[in-house]
Amino acid sequence: MSGQPFRLTSGGLIDRGRTLDFSFDGKSYQGHAGDTLASALLANGVRLVGRSFKYHRPRGVLSAGPEEPNALVELRTGARREPNTRATVVELFDGLEAASQNRWPSLAFDLLSLNGLVSPALVAGFYYKTFMWPAAFWEKLYEPLIRRAAGLGRAAGAEDPDHYEKAFAFCDVLVIGGGPAGLAAALAAGRSGARVILCDEDFRLGGRLLAEKREIDGKPASEWLAATLAELASLPDVRIMPRTTIFGLYDHGIYGAVERVSDHLPEPAPHQPRQRGWRIYAKRAILAAGALERPIVFSGNDAPGVMLAGAARTYVNRYGALPGRETVLFTAGDDGWATARDIASAGGQVAAIVDSRPEADAGRKALADKLGARLFAGGAVEGTSGGRQLDGVTIREASGATASVACDLLAVSNGWNPTLHLTSHQNDKPVWDDGLHCFVPGSLPAGLSVAGSAAGRFTLAQALEDGARLGREAAADAGLTPAGAGPVPATDPETNGLQPVWRVKGAKGKAFVDYQNDVTDKDVELAAREGFRPVEHLKRYTTLGMATDQGKTSNLAGLAVVAEQTGRTIPQTGTTTFRPPYTPVAIGALAGHHRGKDFRLTRLAPTHDWSREQGAVFVESGQWLRAQYYPKPGENDWLTTVNREVLAVRSGVGICDVSTLGKIDIQGTDAAEFLERVYINGWKALPVGKARYGLMLREDGFVMDDGTTSRLGESHFLMTTTTANAGKVMQHLEFCHQVLWPELDVRLVSVSEQWAQASIAGPKARETLRGVVDSAHDISNEAFPYLAVREITVGGGIPARLFRISFSGELAYELAVPADYGDAMMRALMRAGAPFGITPYGTEALGVMRVEKGHVAGNELSGQTTARDLGLGKVMSSKKDYIGRLMAGRPALIEKDRPSFVGFKPVDPAQRLRAGAHFIGIGKATVMENDEGYMTSVAYSPHLKHWMGLGLIKGGAARIGERVRAYDPVRNGDIVVEICSPVFVDPEGARLHG
Amino acid sequence: MAETATPSRWLPRRPWEGVLADGHFGKADETGVTVQTREALGIATLITGEDSHAALDAAMYEHFRLSLPRTPMAVRSGSRQAVWSGPGQWLLVADSREGFRGDLAKLAGLAAVSDQSDGRAVLSLSGPRVRDLLAKGAMLDLHPAAFPVGTAASTSIAYLGVTLWRSADSPEGPVFEIMVARSMAGSFWSWLSASAAEFGYAVTSRRASSADRG
Repeated sequence: MSGQPFRLTSGGLIDRGRTLDFSFDGKSYQGHAGDTLASALLANGVRLVGRSFKYHRPRGVLSAGPEEPNALVELRTGARREPNTRATVVELFDGLEAASQNRWPSLAFDLLSLNGLVSPALVAGFYYKTFMWPAAFWEKLYEPLIRRAAGLGRAAGAEDPDHYEKAFAFCDVLVIGGGPAGLAAALAAGRSGARVILCDEDFRLGGRLLAEKREIDGKPASEWLAATLAELASLPDVRIMPRTTIFGLYDHGIYGAVERVSDHLPEPAPHQPRQRGWRIYAKRAILAAGALERPIVFSGNDAPGVMLAGAARTYVNRYGALPGRETVLFTAGDDGWATARDIASAGGQVAAIVDSRPEADAGRKALADKLGARLFAGGAVEGTSGGRQLDGVTIREASGATASVACDLLAVSNGWNPTLHLTSHQNDKPVWDDGLHCFVPGSLPAGLSVAGSAAGRFTLAQALEDGARLGREAAADAGLTPAGAGPVPATDPETNGLQPVWRVKGAKGKAFVDYQNDVTDKDVELAAREGFRPVEHLKRYTTLGMATDQGKTSNLAGLAVVAEQTGRTIPQTGTTTFRPPYTPVAIGALAGHHRGKDFRLTRLAPTHDWSREQGAVFVESGQWLRAQYYPKPGENDWLTTVNREVLAVRSGVGICDVSTLGKIDIQGTDAAEFLERVYINGWKALPVGKARYGLMLREDGFVMDDGTTSRLGESHFLMTTTTANAGKVMQHLEFCHQVLWPELDVRLVSVSEQWAQASIAGPKARETLRGVVDSAHDISNEAFPYLAVREITVGGGIPARLFRISFSGELAYELAVPADYGDAMMRALMRAGAPFGITPYGTEALGVMRVEKGHVAGNELSGQTTARDLGLGKVMSSKKDYIGRLMAGRPALIEKDRPSFVGFKPVDPAQRLRAGAHFIGIGKATVMENDEGYMTSVAYSPHLKHWMGLGLIKGGAARIGERVRAYDPVRNGDIVVEICSPVFVDPEGARLHG
Repeated sequence: MAETATPSRWLPRRPWEGVLADGHFGKADETGVTVQTREALGIATLITGEDSHAALDAAMYEHFRLSLPRTPMAVRSGSRQAVWSGPGQWLLVADSREGFRGDLAKLAGLAAVSDQSDGRAVLSLSGPRVRDLLAKGAMLDLHPAAFPVGTAASTSIAYLGVTLWRSADSPEGPVFEIMVARSMAGSFWSWLSASAAEFGYAVTSRRASSADRG
């Protein structure tokens, strides 16, 4: 124990049998299981733990909880390095490595602390006022400089190696906080049979009971705590979640929480996540989050050694660590006296007690005497000395005289603020309570009640009473029969008189309102003088209440200074609105599993593994991965591969997976009528066993999607959609069916996943297919002509569908088999086509062939084109109504001059075309007024041996033969192209019918 | 049946093939979750009008002794289950594809019947931590009181759509059947395997014989 000079020999909730090694700024120390990093540092006598944000002033541990503004450290190293972790809530583990931040070159000797000497320049609004000119300097000089000098810890700079998760939980009663009020509430609700979740951010349940020497029912509070925890553990529907912070309250009883599953370990155990983000759905919730103690604003109030009195008690009573040997207490109320008492009983010296209230009663005088402490009733601390380590304070006595007292700990007590943050997450405002001198919850979000200190009911008796009552009420509200109300446990006597001191005026030196942001009382005054009086303006101008602690120890003092300055009361001055999160939450906990390739889902076709075996390069198409091309050894650029694939199809046969196209099964006696209404062309005359191209519009008259739809039976159709629009079309059809025409007898269901589908294209397509289609089925040109559709069998009885449709312009079929047989289908086709040099081809070759044939695709179906624009005006039926018909007739959409669909070829065949190039008349200036349209798709045709393009140009087909410039400023392209027919290969369509 | 056109047999490739492997994974020595693939089920969507399913009701009962549920429930009779999937919509799930086409033929004309057997990937999940696993993905209250045996739900897990229902308990505890789109099996498994690892999980794939062509 000699290594921990400030560790008490007994007492506290640490396990002295388990010693943990850790390091801080490279120096080794030891602590015990049950310590936080802060308590272990204090036990080792480490008082200086960080440098402040702006002035680089030495800082020590102020608090013992989540509100800590000073003791922020970088925790761990390497990829797990985590900046701005609060040493007061970091659970000590063996091998912990921490480093102070915001200091250079070292914590003890910080060159930038010279900032303090020029501090008159660094007042509120300094950055706004100073670094104004010249503007160019801001980005290059000022900002990098400021970011290096100010700012907190450093991010890891490497990918987080740990796994995070999300999870969902449901309960009748959510209890937020595991102190006396929360435990009493959980017990009352749990006894009533409610499903209870109790979350506490601490690793140990008990809240302030862990830090105080209190009695319940005449016995140490620890006995009540142990019995309560045991009973809760015995209730099967009560779930206790330590290390879990409820950080936000959302609509409909939804609470956000983060569970620090592995933060207390050097690294997560195998298969364990680092943290888990919870969404908790609670019928009722009880906020029992306790309260946060308030510092006092006085000169030098930030010296290492100045500590909240309640925190000092926590270190003594819970962690068995003395935060100082010689203590001065500066208190504005009764509560601080408990610190003096507990420190003394642990063996510390109490040199002086400064109680700002004019009169001390006899009991307190006697206590001061007993402790051997000088009592300064009506006094105030107005200065500290010691730099990196507090060594004394200056006290102004009630008489006006000053006294100096040597000490290494100044415990400060100024009353407590209810931890009511969650009550205002739905915009409810806290209200000021004059008697309690603090804000208390005002109107409450639906389903939430507040117990104990969080409601301003600060005594232990009130906490226990509130918890038991509200626990029963919440259970009843959740529909259960509350258990009978037992007697509320009795507690030892307590008082909580208070006359808060918002600041001690008149001293020189800096008096900090906000430690974390280095905001002094003078900054706040200056802001008020400059007109930043509304509290939200004050916050943004001075940065008061910003950053990781969100002003937990500073907001009220800031309000009080402004109130004083402007002659208003605190409630007149206002309060800032608390928003989620209550404490910082790692993005990883919100993202959970969904990062990297799991950011969104990936869909794989049933033929995927086969394509991979064939060496496919895949491309994302929406959520799908599709084979883009299949390079062979020796093919070093994609164009070589794609040219080979295209030529193989046009000269022999190729196969391409088209499983990813959307497939919608449409059944019902009104199925044909339904199609009439969603497509622009006619369907009623389509015979059974035939397919037809269909085009559908949006309500606004623009093209939505296209595809082929087949009639499988009198009242049974199969629609196909593009891969990208499959979901959107299904939604659209469901909307049409459910909302527009519920009277139609039609049923829709996606069968996209059921069928694996391949395109077999090329002059040898039929011969290849003959090898897989069972011989009973006649697929000759006569029996199975262009656009025929039939249910057949393949591979000896496997049901399949055969479609004679073509996107490539070749003799082509699409063969669909149940997805389980997709893989086998590809292999069978490869075997059957081997004599013809069958070649797998991907979406690139498919794209080349469709450009060669002038078929429109995604680039043309851009949501900005009409059927007329695409040369499909003649498909629009004039004999029926359909979605988009009227709107497609709007004057602007039928204007003669609208860019419409044609082909383009380079006048110099060696030149490459670029999609996105804009058309401009030869000799005309390259300005918007001369823009005539743009190139939508381009491809290199291995048949024509030059690039070809499709696009939209004013005048369209009427201008075939004309030349224009294809102007592409993005890639410095400016070439002359000739307008031509969009059909580059086989314009008669002879190959299709072969 | 027509004669075989090619000499090689067409072997089915089931949705979980290449996605998961049999064995024990994650935390050693513990099996919090047991995963069993449900291969070669017969699955079909049955869709009627919301108020026009009397004939289907009657046929389902007559042929399969299944009473179509009116609420999000799954019912089983013998080797078949009916799972509510929307107003006037059900899934018919048969343990085997043997005779399944015949089953569907019996329903012709009474509902829009679409065979989806190959389009879905199904797992049976059980084990003492199965609820904790599902809580990492499903925004559903799976407490025994809130989600008793027979309850079904269509929801999303890891941003992909799933249908899940609770079938009869096994001696080891609750059993959930979970069905995802075939193309999403890999992404679903990525979530499941990562989420189940801390509990330890065992995978058994019950491979159907390739003869089960149904």
